[in-house]
Amino acid sequence: MPTDQPSAADDPLEVVDQVDEAALAEVMRVVPLGAGVLAGATVALLVIGYLAIYLLVFLPRGTVG
Amino acid sequence: MTEQHAQPHERRILGTELLWAFGVSVLIAAILSMVVFTALTRDINPPSNVERIDPKTLHLSGEFAEQNLGTTVTRDGGITVRIITTQFMFAPRCLVVPEGRRVTLRFATPDVIHGILITGTNVNTMVVPGFVAQVYSEFTHSGDLLMPCHEYCGLGHSEMWATVRVVPESEFKPDPDGRVACAQR
Repeated sequence: MPTDQPSAADDPLEVVDQVDEAALAEVMRVVPLGAGVLAGATVALLVIGYLAIYLLVFLPRGTVG
Repeated sequence: MTEQHAQPHERRILGTELLWAFGVSVLIAAILSMVVFTALTRDINPPSNVERIDPKTLHLSGEFAEQNLGTTVTRDGGITVRIITTQFMFAPRCLVVPEGRRVTLRFATPDVIHGILITGTNVNTMVVPGFVAQVYSEFTHSGDLLMPCHEYCGLGHSEMWATVRVVPESEFKPDPDGRVACAQR
């Protein structure tokens, strides 16, 4: 690669934003739903696991203090 | 991003974030309420005994002198186990407790902070120099349980563990002094 040629990556501010605004808007319309489902399912599994251990293991073992 | 595209989507994203924040707040409130409810109604609390002891002399006389370590049954039938946790061992290394009876476990350390837990039970406490750590438990199944140190205490930490031997009530036989030890069995 010739070193005397300037690269667009040398200065990020000069990189032309090639994102199609309409396409971005279209993607943004559905992304929150997908992210919400993924995050919701993850948190739901975590909470179910916590509750199962708390209610079925920790409480039946009784107090120690 | 142009104004006509950005505004509705940003509003929608903000709405989603607020909905998420509301849901998480409800979850946290529900879990905290459950913890407080069980603490108040079922007395489920972390170990909270505050009792001082001199770590420099605890092995010389008094409750944690050598002859008092291990399992003791008092005249009224109460069962107390006294253990010294020290780098890198428990004294004694084996404890005998009966199945189905309330047992008081008391720990003290002459050196650094240790921590103990007994597998399969809720017994779990720190042992801090200068204080007596005390927990109660009722062991529901007979058998040998592992009691490791779970607070890093030095290079030999991983070798620091003891055995809690839970025996049926019929096999729990104190000697005339009210002592029960693994070696007697």
